[in-house]
Amino acid sequence: MMGDVAVVGWGAYVSGYGSLADWLAGRAASEPTAPVGSMVPLRDRRRASPLSRAMADAYGAAVAEAGFDPAQVASVFGSALGEVSTMIGLLDQMWSEAGTPLSPMKFATSVHNAASGMISIANGNRGFTTSLGADYDTPAMGLLEGIGLVASRGEPVVVCCGDEPPPDDLVPGQQGWSLLSVAIALAPVERAKAGATVLSAPELVASALPAPETDVALGRNPSIGLFDLAVALERGLEGVIRLDRGAGRGYCVRLKPDRAA
Amino acid sequence: MAMAPLPITGFALCNGLGPDRRAVRDALYEGKCGLGPSPIEVPFETVVGAVRWALPELPAPLAPWSTRTARIAALLLGDLQAPLEALRRRWQPGRIAVLLGTSTAGADVTENAYRVYLAEGALPRDYDLFRHHTYGAILHVVRTLTGAEGPSWVVSTACTSSAKPLATAQRLIASGLVDAAIVGGIDTLCAMTLRGFRSLDALSPEPARPFSSERRGLNIGEGGAFLLVERAGDPVALLEGVGESSDAHHISAPDPQGEGARLAMARALADAGVPASRVDHVNAHGTGTRLNDVAEAAAIEALVGREVPVVSTKGYTGHMLGAAGATEAAIAIFALTEGFIPASLGADPVDPKIGARIAVERVHGRFARVLSNSFAFGGNNVSVLLGAPR
Repeated sequence: MMGDVAVVGWGAYVSGYGSLADWLAGRAASEPTAPVGSMVPLRDRRRASPLSRAMADAYGAAVAEAGFDPAQVASVFGSALGEVSTMIGLLDQMWSEAGTPLSPMKFATSVHNAASGMISIANGNRGFTTSLGADYDTPAMGLLEGIGLVASRGEPVVVCCGDEPPPDDLVPGQQGWSLLSVAIALAPVERAKAGATVLSAPELVASALPAPETDVALGRNPSIGLFDLAVALERGLEGVIRLDRGAGRGYCVRLKPDRAA
Repeated sequence: MAMAPLPITGFALCNGLGPDRRAVRDALYEGKCGLGPSPIEVPFETVVGAVRWALPELPAPLAPWSTRTARIAALLLGDLQAPLEALRRRWQPGRIAVLLGTSTAGADVTENAYRVYLAEGALPRDYDLFRHHTYGAILHVVRTLTGAEGPSWVVSTACTSSAKPLATAQRLIASGLVDAAIVGGIDTLCAMTLRGFRSLDALSPEPARPFSSERRGLNIGEGGAFLLVERAGDPVALLEGVGESSDAHHISAPDPQGEGARLAMARALADAGVPASRVDHVNAHGTGTRLNDVAEAAAIEALVGREVPVVSTKGYTGHMLGAAGATEAAIAIFALTEGFIPASLGADPVDPKIGARIAVERVHGRFARVLSNSFAFGGNNVSVLLGAPR
């Protein structure tokens, strides 16, 4: 079976707060805080959607905490809906301005792997990157892909999931969610510092620790499972963490301290 | 350490050339072009590779998920019935993964629904984002139709989307997490894609002519391909290695030096522990755009030299985007199993800047190993090494 991996860093962009630390401390931003995407050069950042910038912020925080080289580390990006706002912008243009050519830059950044591409370009990384989706199972499947990479290559991986608020036109506001992106840095257990937390591969488990309390809009985000994992890591919890809040298939991971360290 | 080759125990494909494996194979052999007028109205000239064949209805419980993408999946699975039954006999449902790729997902449905929304102020009553558009929709359909209950996700990395799941299948099987994977991809035609590539000045008004000095760009195609990858079984071909890389160059333009492409091919060979001298054929990404073809051909020449026959099949099917990787891997299997490489349609006269051997006519022979390339927006590159059963 797929072995355990060590968690060596994590980071998040949480709408209304900014970082995970601010969310944990209950420090809501007094002004709306947009994701910055500071890892991406200014020219490309202007073209990046809020989702891509939020992913860059979460990814950057996890990479920095883990001490990974962003020019080398493999990455897995996950999102249920991806660049859906960019797509709606293109559809607006296409159907409302008949005959007008679509924006080539908006089209190029409407792909699901926009963040993956921008971040690999920004860091000069010629290694592995991917972008996937599985609705509310996206965090679980992203972790499976990431843990599989660590197991097969023996090298670190960053798993980053996020979803932006869906356009009201497609998902009514009362069913929507707020912007969230979370990144988890994984490494082979033998290459992690002593005492690092160890994570099992996602599997279907009947019961899990209760999810942290969040506001409703955050809790509906399809990437919330990775947020719940990051909160558990931040709080030093041990036990089974469910990677969705009931809308997915019920994949869980087991968190435990590295007793062998 | 090299990965152990895995048996591919069945495959199916459908596209502008035909509705099933046999029809596509025959059209490739005969050099028939599958491109024709676009069924989607766009304000410019182009041709497309449309699936013009009747698609099966989904079983009643899946009716709410019925989309063109889902029905293409049902068509493909129908053509895979015998090897799928054998696969299900060998492995537990929870040990069978579903690993798909798409770039469009349900964009064809959403763009029409959104047009209604703009005109009437409300989406069509039967439109459902999570049943018609998102990745979970096609995963649900394929899991239900096949009985697979293992891990399942969709890779969406633009034009490499359905090649990358082959590498994931390798990893999940090697790690012991699953025993088999239903791998593949589907893309469908939509106005947004046609108009998007037009905006990039990449769309040809006539059938694409990859590698030709007279090439004018690409055409869009639709359809899909599925491959069954197992830990053990009767192989029609072997999945020997997969190489993945990034250009780290530009969001929508390839690295003109082709370094990312070369890295992906070299990594596929390293993954398999096979030297470049053992590659008998390359099924190129070969879009027909000015930039891609020269850069890719240079990378191929640098790796395998000037004697190995190289083909792009996008002159037959159009660029199937998220379905291209699985489709071209399936076409590469024809070279291994049927002993022919289709002519690279429209390539003659070959661009004099290209040194690789572009097969302008059908080539017959025994081919033991084929590399199949896929490159994408974001500078995402994949190369798959397939081998004949030994």
